[in-house]
Amino acid sequence: MQILTIILQIAILLVIVLLHVAYATYFERKIIGHMQVRMGPMLVGYHGLLQPIADGIKSFFKEDVIPAQADKPLFLFAPVICLVTMLTSLAVIPFAKGWVLADINIGLLFIFAMSSLASYGVILAGWASNSKYTFLGGLRSMAQVISYEIPLGLSLVGVMMLSGSLNLTTIVTSQGNSFSSMYLFPQIIGFFVFFIAMLAETNRVPFDLPEAETELVSGYITEYSGMRYALFFMAEYIGMMVMASIGTICFLGGWNGPFEIPFFPPFWFILKVYGFIFFFIWIRATLPRYRYDQLMELGWKLLIPLALLNILLTGLFKILVH
Amino acid sequence: MITLTDTQTIDIPVQSGDEDRYHLKLGPQHPATHGVLRVDLDLDGETILTCDPKVGYLHRGFEKLAEHRTYAQNIVLTDRLDYIAAMSNNVGYCEAVERLLAIEVPERAKMLRVMVCEMSRISSHLLWLATHALDIGAMTVFLYCFREREVLLELFAELCGARLTTTYTRLGGVRQDVTRSIMKKLDKFVEDFPACIEEYETLIDTNRIWLKRTIGVGQVSAEKALDLCLTGASLRGSGVDYDIRKHMPYSGYEKFEFDVPTGETGDTYARYRCRMEELRQSNFILRQCIEMMPPGPILGKDAPDLIMPIKPANKLEVDVPAKNALITLIEDRDVFMEGDIYVATEVPKGELGFYFISDGMGRPYRMHIRSPSFIHIGALSTMGQGVMIADLIAIIGTLDVVLGECDR
Amino acid sequence: MKVQYKPKRNLLETIFQVEILQGMALTLRKLFSPAITRQYPQEKPPMYPGFRGQHALVRDSVSKESKCVACMRCATVCPSRCIQIGYDEDETHKRVVNRYTIEVLRCVFCGYCVEVCPVGAITMTELFEYATYDRQTVFFDKEALLDNWDSFILKTGKDATYVNPLMRPRGVLESSLPSAKRLTVPDDWTIEGQYVGTKVKPSTMNLPSTTHAEAENG
Repeated sequence: MQILTIILQIAILLVIVLLHVAYATYFERKIIGHMQVRMGPMLVGYHGLLQPIADGIKSFFKEDVIPAQADKPLFLFAPVICLVTMLTSLAVIPFAKGWVLADINIGLLFIFAMSSLASYGVILAGWASNSKYTFLGGLRSMAQVISYEIPLGLSLVGVMMLSGSLNLTTIVTSQGNSFSSMYLFPQIIGFFVFFIAMLAETNRVPFDLPEAETELVSGYITEYSGMRYALFFMAEYIGMMVMASIGTICFLGGWNGPFEIPFFPPFWFILKVYGFIFFFIWIRATLPRYRYDQLMELGWKLLIPLALLNILLTGLFKILVH
Repeated sequence: MITLTDTQTIDIPVQSGDEDRYHLKLGPQHPATHGVLRVDLDLDGETILTCDPKVGYLHRGFEKLAEHRTYAQNIVLTDRLDYIAAMSNNVGYCEAVERLLAIEVPERAKMLRVMVCEMSRISSHLLWLATHALDIGAMTVFLYCFREREVLLELFAELCGARLTTTYTRLGGVRQDVTRSIMKKLDKFVEDFPACIEEYETLIDTNRIWLKRTIGVGQVSAEKALDLCLTGASLRGSGVDYDIRKHMPYSGYEKFEFDVPTGETGDTYARYRCRMEELRQSNFILRQCIEMMPPGPILGKDAPDLIMPIKPANKLEVDVPAKNALITLIEDRDVFMEGDIYVATEVPKGELGFYFISDGMGRPYRMHIRSPSFIHIGALSTMGQGVMIADLIAIIGTLDVVLGECDR
Repeated sequence: MKVQYKPKRNLLETIFQVEILQGMALTLRKLFSPAITRQYPQEKPPMYPGFRGQHALVRDSVSKESKCVACMRCATVCPSRCIQIGYDEDETHKRVVNRYTIEVLRCVFCGYCVEVCPVGAITMTELFEYATYDRQTVFFDKEALLDNWDSFILKTGKDATYVNPLMRPRGVLESSLPSAKRLTVPDDWTIEGQYVGTKVKPSTMNLPSTTHAEAENG
């Protein structure tokens, strides 16, 4: 019986998240469109509201082209790795008090593990396609994920030290209920590092080198088409949502808001997550792209020292206060 | 070390010591090569060891086609050279032919030519900025540039009936006069445009990522740039003050006040700054055109008819009605002189030269086009050595090549 | 003139990412500005007289036939040689067109044919949406070209005296045109009413009264 309940919960979560993903693409296209003084999708439904569904149907029925020289099993499997790892990390995210599938004690670590695993999908996709652009994209992605995992982890160490836990629910509750007790303020350096590392981790502009369109055509997804392409796309957006959720949980006080919304506790959480996603999109509409070596330089020479400094300051602060 | 599979080794002869290299054929179908340019790269990681541009995918044989068409008919071909700035090509071609055939152009037509040239310079530079920024990843500049370019293309459509393939000039003048509505719209454009340039600059001019991606990238010294035969803003970015509009004025450019911006460092950023400054200067020239447009005819007294005979002299007298202006031309002034001429004009991309050999017929015996894009692509193998792939894309962008002109 | 670079950013501007924030402020401002998109199939682009669109043979309002006199000027001037004309001679040695075809797939839309036509028989309309799946429909014969004219008149609501600047170029002297092309046109199409720069002094204006005409006629 318990298993059935859990399966039901998982199913509901999946459906809701996938719908959100679909509309996050719509949201992105609309926002970027208007920032670029155009309109974005307009034709399918009122102001293109049904566009994500049309896209989904289209990519589902499209021909799935597999290059003749590709490593077929890996080629087929790579997008699944990406998607599954991203979906798995959803399990530990608390959307509201008690609204979590698996309230495990190492939630933060689990999410790190999963997002690192997702890069396997990218690398395998790059390798298995047996194409030069995808290979370069895969290599870039590997280097990028490895070097940005470190500042991402280190930037959250401060949060762990303040809350004394890796459990995401505990992190939220330890931030208290008020605006001023959000970890954003004591951890402003950590937040800065986290934000940049988050952009890099999710392959977003200005760090979208693995799929840099004007350099590597489409990077690691060059050879993918149809549903498999859509799987990568979904994985990318779920990754964005997961990272935005972590940012919300660790720095913006999770589901806590100025007042309680009856019947729908995750309201503030979702609002904050969408705030993050809007920021992602806004940055994409504004900034150019870094070069590969500059990206490494930024990660190793700026973000990691900053994150370490943040840990030091947080430690000093804790010692002085207690 | 990268192991190559069987299929990949088929067309790449692996020489000894060559095993560590990664061969990448960038293009001809690639989003950042501005058309159908192919660049063969030897990579070590992401660093380019050798860079070998391959052209010719858009070859249409214009130089040969021109040998079978009259001078007037060839104007149509020039539209399709640099299809981004067709007006400049039209003017360049007509300047050359008019000097060959000694045809006078009235003042108003000269001013109209300057006006359309500068309009097309702005629209070409806008497209350059758009694609250059897009290559480097700044997506929004692309659409802001197209917003202004659209205004200019609409004006072209109103002026001569087509947005890109303008065919605006004629030997001895231009085809259409401006109307008041065109000048009103142009006036508004000239008024608004400086604010638009500010907008582009807000997005990229001081942006740290843009600076990192452009400063020191694709650097060429002044001597090197001259050796590579770079012209236009690509040369001026290196600090060489060379602009045909200023130094060998044609079409009445000597009457206009404008500066020739030159850079110092010769890198991508300097060239970017030069072109942005040129946008302002062109805008200034347009303002002067609006203010100083002289009255008068748009076609010269001795402008030949659109129907030019290919065969000169005796056969002609039989075929064409006697009132044709061209006959008087041939009889009176002996225009179809034998000889050759090279005339260069400053188009947005650089120096566009037309070289004609005339054998006394109504069509060129040989027409050679010195297209700036072709020569700039030649510089790519030098400039692209030792940089990273992302820089190569930036360099292709900064050289501002159009493959229609390169392959012609 | 040496180009000026903007001053290097200082430490404070580096830390607070001032230039990035400025850029983001711009994009945010644009988010709320109206879009400039033209929703194409629903919203047509503005068309101007003289647009080089679909070809048509003007249907004469009296004879309901083409005005073409088979002088072959259009076929001669065509740079892509896509116009073919066949004619017979009647008893008075007047040419009667029996075949007039334009192979649109070869046409480069330069508009030379319209410009050289002495009687204003051929024109280019403002229609441009006639893409098809087969070659036959874009191989216009005489009937098709006359039909193009009818459908142009019908679709755009222009009257049959429609004249565009290809048929009668702007800024040329009336007297330099063949009589069939001396049509009534807006004021600023004529050389007398042409646009003159705002800073050109009227005293320096010497209207070209004869120059052009004399050259053409005499």
